[in-house]
Amino acid sequence: MSMEEVEEAREEGSHGSMFEGGVEVRVLVVDDSPVDRRVVEGLLKRSGAMFQVIAVDSGKRAMEVLGLTEGKEAEQPTVDDPKIDIILTDYCMPEMTGYDLLKAVKEQSSQKPIPVIIMSSENEPQRISRCRAIGAEDYLLKPLQTNDVLRLRDYVRPTALSPKTGTKRKIAIEMMAENSGSERRPCLAGLAVA
Amino acid sequence: MSLMALREQLNGLVNSMFLEGLLDDQFEQLQMLQDESSPGFIAELITLFCGDSERILAELTKLLDQAVVDYQKVDAFVHQLKGSSSSVGAQHVKLACVQFRQFCEEHNKEGCLCALNVVKHEYYLLRGKFDTMLQLEQRIQAYESKQQI
Repeated sequence: MSMEEVEEAREEGSHGSMFEGGVEVRVLVVDDSPVDRRVVEGLLKRSGAMFQVIAVDSGKRAMEVLGLTEGKEAEQPTVDDPKIDIILTDYCMPEMTGYDLLKAVKEQSSQKPIPVIIMSSENEPQRISRCRAIGAEDYLLKPLQTNDVLRLRDYVRPTALSPKTGTKRKIAIEMMAENSGSERRPCLAGLAVA
Repeated sequence: MSLMALREQLNGLVNSMFLEGLLDDQFEQLQMLQDESSPGFIAELITLFCGDSERILAELTKLLDQAVVDYQKVDAFVHQLKGSSSSVGAQHVKLACVQFRQFCEEHNKEGCLCALNVVKHEYYLLRGKFDTMLQLEQRIQAYESKQQI
């Protein structure tokens, strides 16, 4: 039996009608700890910010979900119709670390690679710099808080808000690269900057 | 025992765990994530944590039983346990892991063995209380289901 754990869940925001007709953000959560995966999933679902969560237990599984294999790009471009809008990955994982995954995602030739947020229990400035240097959008300290997951939406912007009615529709998501603006600040030493 | 008495017993148990430092703010955050749409969230998390912790403790016991200890592997497992205990708010277990990692860094086998015993002690103490917590929750849920019929 494979150790793979791929969970897909749709959840309406806890704010009820406020988010009806809103756009779901598809988050790929990558963490080898089953406890941490569940905690992050719980935070995302309960945040009221319309997240669809796909959780995997390794960088290798994440690459499969993203349609990436070592040395190859995705066969289908991910920009126009991405399966995943944002990646939230643990840093310390066996075999393929979060850093390795970040590098693989950012090395895609696509002009707008998927935003990647790193999670770690270690507040190491060198590690943070390394991740940012190759394009990590943010670095969050574990354990994650509700404020941390709400920030994820800052890195993804829908081009058009399609009401979530009837059957599923494909939604074009435009990645919005935040260039050190006020909305994008590193989360260091457990301080979430508003 | 009445439903009210069961709830009081559960609240009393959880409060005492906070007061004793077995649980910290993180657990309180997680409690807020449990609602009607995910009523078993805490139970699920506790079950995951306990299963994962016992797996790690078994691995650590094996590793420290070796004549030549692979401190890198030991540290990796302790790091995992520290992470998951931090994520569920298991404060004493987390702190015991912090101590453990220091002995790993020093390659101090005796210190590691001692630290492992402390971690085990803290974990099993917590696990006992978690078991009681889950039993009380189950009884409360059974009571509430009966009342709805």
